Amino acid sequence: MVIPILGLLAGLALGLLVSFQVPLTYVKYSAIAILAAVDTLLGGVRAQYEARFDLRVFLSGFVVNTVFAAGLTALGDLLGLDIYLGAVVAFSIRIFNNIGFIRRDLLGLVWKAAPLEAGET
Amino acid sequence: MLAAQPWQLALTAVAVVVGFVLGVQVRTERSIETNLQVTSGRLGEVAYRYRQVEARQAALRSRLAELRQEIADEEQQAAAGREATAALAADLAQLRTLSGLTPVHGPGVLVVIADSTRPLKPGEDPNLVLIHYSDVHAVVATLFAAGAEAVAVNGERVVGTTGIACVGTTILCNARRLAPPYRIEAIGDPHVLLAAAVARGGILDELRAFGFPVAVTAESDVRLPAYTGTFVHQFATPVETGR
Repeated sequence: MVIPILGLLAGLALGLLVSFQVPLTYVKYSAIAILAAVDTLLGGVRAQYEARFDLRVFLSGFVVNTVFAAGLTALGDLLGLDIYLGAVVAFSIRIFNNIGFIRRDLLGLVWKAAPLEAGET
Repeated sequence: MLAAQPWQLALTAVAVVVGFVLGVQVRTERSIETNLQVTSGRLGEVAYRYRQVEARQAALRSRLAELRQEIADEEQQAAAGREATAALAADLAQLRTLSGLTPVHGPGVLVVIADSTRPLKPGEDPNLVLIHYSDVHAVVATLFAAGAEAVAVNGERVVGTTGIACVGTTILCNARRLAPPYRIEAIGDPHVLLAAAVARGGILDELRAFGFPVAVTAESDVRLPAYTGTFVHQFATPVETGR
């Protein structure tokens, strides 16, 4: 699990260093896509801890989630409706869920205790 | 866990991508905030305002161009007007001078004639010792014929409509009574005027022969007043001349 974290930090550093910028028109879409990507990433981590990681599910989820999140935002702009708010809420909830599960998984690992029941926070 | 496993590769790859995009996004957002003082969520509003300002600017620009053109036009017109006005003023000044509406001065001659002091013989016609309007008129005509540019009789300027006439026992010039002695001043070449005035067989020669006191002198600076009467053109209208 250390390597993906290092990868994240390396990517972050790279992204902060390069001079490339998101075109201003697409800033909103890329932001939602990032939210979806983070959610997928956390979902993958969680799946890994729960020993049910599926490469196809993970990669397809990454691609489809990011693309759909951005696409939904674009659709919302076309309709003049803030649909991206829905994506923000949905992904935020899922991110918190995943973080919660990861936390419990980690706790279970650290304390060697039996996995806590799902739904408990 | 030293050997790379598929899940590890996938997670790392996605993590790198997410990290990269996140970094770019953060930098983009920060540059937007520092440059525009708004968050990316309000970019639309900013763009709208920008377009509005741009449209207003374009309108102002075209208005500016219009106004510049107007100024140029006005300036051109004013310049043309000034030129026309100056030309007209010059014409007017010349015409005023020519028509005797301005006081003038210059070299010329002074002719003074007066009634004869000779005592009348019994039964003699008194007209023989008086200066008549025709004498004054003859002197003026002689001087003009010799090239005088301006003539005045007893301070009364002779212009184009001046009539010299006899009413009873007085001479009228410009409808003003003249009394002897008659001072006839003329501006022109003094030598020419003098020669014409004293020419043999001329009016002054004749008057002198009849015993009238006549004095002719060349003057270096004759000063003539302006014509003070009016011009009435009730019947004469200019004839239209074709170009």
